[in-house]
Amino acid sequence: MFEDADNFADLFRGGFSVLLVTLPFLIILSSTPVLASNEFTIDRMTQYDVHGVAYGCRASNLNLEAKSLQTWTTSRHCVITRFQDLTVDQFREIRAKAGGIIILLPENLSILSSEEKQHIYMLEQAIMAQEISIPVYFSKYNPELNDIIDEISTSKEKQETSKNNKRESALSEIVNSISANGYQIVVSGASHSVNKQSKIPIIQGELAPVKNMKEGSVEKNTKLPLLIVTAHFDNFGLINHQLPNLDVTVFMSLVSAFSKIHSSPNTSPKYRIMFLLSESGTLLNFQGMKKWLDTNLDENMQIQNAEFVLCIDGIGQQSDTDTMYMHVSKPPKEGTSMSNFFKQLRATAQKYENVTVEGVHKKINLADVQLAWEHERFSMKRMPAFTLSSLKSHKDPLRSTIFVENQESHLQSAQRNAKILAEALGAYVFGNNNGELFSGASAISKELVKPWLYIRSTQVNNDLKNAFEKYLKNVKITYDKPDAREPDFMLYDGHDGTLNVYSVKPAVFDLFLTFVIVAYLSSVYLAIVSFPTFYDAICKMSNNKVKTN
Amino acid sequence: MQQSLEKRSLIFLLTFLLNRFIRSEYGAFWKCIQAGGFYIFTQLTKMLLLATFSPDAESLPTAANFNLLAEFLRSSVDIFDLLGIAFVLSRIPGKGHSKLISAGLGWAAAEVILSRGLILWVGARGAEFSWIYIQKCLESNISLIQHLTTATLLWLFSRHDLTKSFKPIVTMLLVATAYKGLWLDGVLRILSVGPWVSLALKALTTTSMGVLSLHIYAGLAQTIGI
Repeated sequence: MFEDADNFADLFRGGFSVLLVTLPFLIILSSTPVLASNEFTIDRMTQYDVHGVAYGCRASNLNLEAKSLQTWTTSRHCVITRFQDLTVDQFREIRAKAGGIIILLPENLSILSSEEKQHIYMLEQAIMAQEISIPVYFSKYNPELNDIIDEISTSKEKQETSKNNKRESALSEIVNSISANGYQIVVSGASHSVNKQSKIPIIQGELAPVKNMKEGSVEKNTKLPLLIVTAHFDNFGLINHQLPNLDVTVFMSLVSAFSKIHSSPNTSPKYRIMFLLSESGTLLNFQGMKKWLDTNLDENMQIQNAEFVLCIDGIGQQSDTDTMYMHVSKPPKEGTSMSNFFKQLRATAQKYENVTVEGVHKKINLADVQLAWEHERFSMKRMPAFTLSSLKSHKDPLRSTIFVENQESHLQSAQRNAKILAEALGAYVFGNNNGELFSGASAISKELVKPWLYIRSTQVNNDLKNAFEKYLKNVKITYDKPDAREPDFMLYDGHDGTLNVYSVKPAVFDLFLTFVIVAYLSSVYLAIVSFPTFYDAICKMSNNKVKTN
Repeated sequence: MQQSLEKRSLIFLLTFLLNRFIRSEYGAFWKCIQAGGFYIFTQLTKMLLLATFSPDAESLPTAANFNLLAEFLRSSVDIFDLLGIAFVLSRIPGKGHSKLISAGLGWAAAEVILSRGLILWVGARGAEFSWIYIQKCLESNISLIQHLTTATLLWLFSRHDLTKSFKPIVTMLLVATAYKGLWLDGVLRILSVGPWVSLALKALTTTSMGVLSLHIYAGLAQTIGI
């Protein structure tokens, strides 16, 4: 009667032991495909070499367990934290011992206190100071990621407090460790290969009196005194991202303002003004300008004889100050064009915007490979050069920061400074200091200034080149390519990736679950094996019923 | 990773069945395969019917709205499942218990492979842990009991020597089985309980239906002497 049933039961009886042997193999053999739960776009920290010294983050692979600032212990942990919460010392420790770090950038800098801001700038400098062998990623503010950070920190804190109390029993400790939620962090799509195409574009153009151009007397034209205005374009900072470029904004405002003056023969001054924009700033040690000087200086005596070189650097960042600084490597002698311009600038700044201009003297430190200011490149070639900045020190973190406190006030100060510079330059080239040049139709307004703020590099699109060609003559782009054998600088590819955060259970939980499943399967097995007994019982009951029926 | 354990064990059981029954003189394994084949055929028929006669895609029930009429129509098509199992039962030669078990087991195995296999294979192996896969595995265990019960009930329904007093109960249980998706889900939705409680309730309902059918079956089996 139970032949068939026995057959089925037999099958389970034999199968169970085999099952226990085979299951681990099945588990080991299975791969784990990636299924995203929370996906974020993140930026890898910038990576570049200057003069053979490596800067930035040197790794990109990340597949680790997420831990908070307080709880990470080994290099198998990836710290995930907010930028504000991280301290410099913690960062140094993480850089040395952790497996990776993901930093959530603050949402809005303007709501932070000035101390917090100061801390952020300091930390930014500290992170940028050296090469980092662990992967470092930054995420723009994202509420979901913020929640995850909250959850990681709070759950750990709870455990910490319960440990401190020591009143919790061992059992609840175990339960805690089993029920804990973990996060696995996987970054895909990021790489850190050398950009073979790395180059620094330097774009130049000049303004010269129209009359002379028309006559075609190049000789006469080139005999005019020359002024050089330079700025640099920062296209990366802590992360490789488009930054608002205040220097370029001021620079381009000057270009467009002076092109108006030069457009008619009657108003054009007896000066040539050369505008020079290189796409390498402080971080790349003004490599672009070096290359430009090396190639142009020997051929063109005109450049060597320029009256002065005006470098614009960090001119709008400090918006709450009424002081502008003129940085020089050597104090200008009385009677030189530089000193004349300095006086002119002082007067103009005071007159129009009530801004004071102070001179700052800093000698070039030849022992230091890294230059402090862009004008030092020119000063080293014995050209009269200075930098105009709203920052007093070349070590000011604001120079290379990626954080923008208040876009509006920055724009305002950029506009103000552009106005001062334009008026001072105008007064200098015309040799008078009475009339306001840029007013009315040619005024430097906010509308004129704003569009330049987010202009992209010439390597991205042609906006900058087109603007140069629109306003200036003799536009030329040169590229500084690193030498194949001894590269002065090197840029790297692949600066962003996708961050996947999986909620995972700890290994203890896996073990626990295995036991539960084994227990369940055993009970199912026992139920099937003992089914005949159960069936007999039912049969008896039915029998009774049938009989009573 | 462990969440796929159950599914793996199920698959392993099937392989083991294969080894066992290819050698077995009873050939229960092939009966199971046959039942699975019929399952596929029935599902195709159901899909065809649903595609042809169901109102339109928008009125079909989603997680958000529980449309009673559409759900009723859908459950009505589930009657084809019963017809399918009945067909399997009529086609599979065999005596008594073995016939019912191979029909139910084959049917359930085919269902679990076709409707849950892919979800488990893709989902449960992911890096992320989710209880939903454990729940799905438990749910398929419940549906195994359900299919065994259904096979038993259909067999009982086809018997002419069934005690008269049991006939209405068997019919009622069959209707309840066919529309189980409708009334059980409806009740669970009204109670708005969590996934674990609803799983427990489903297990409870199915087990009580199973025990009741087993009781009737045992009575009949003893009378006809199998």
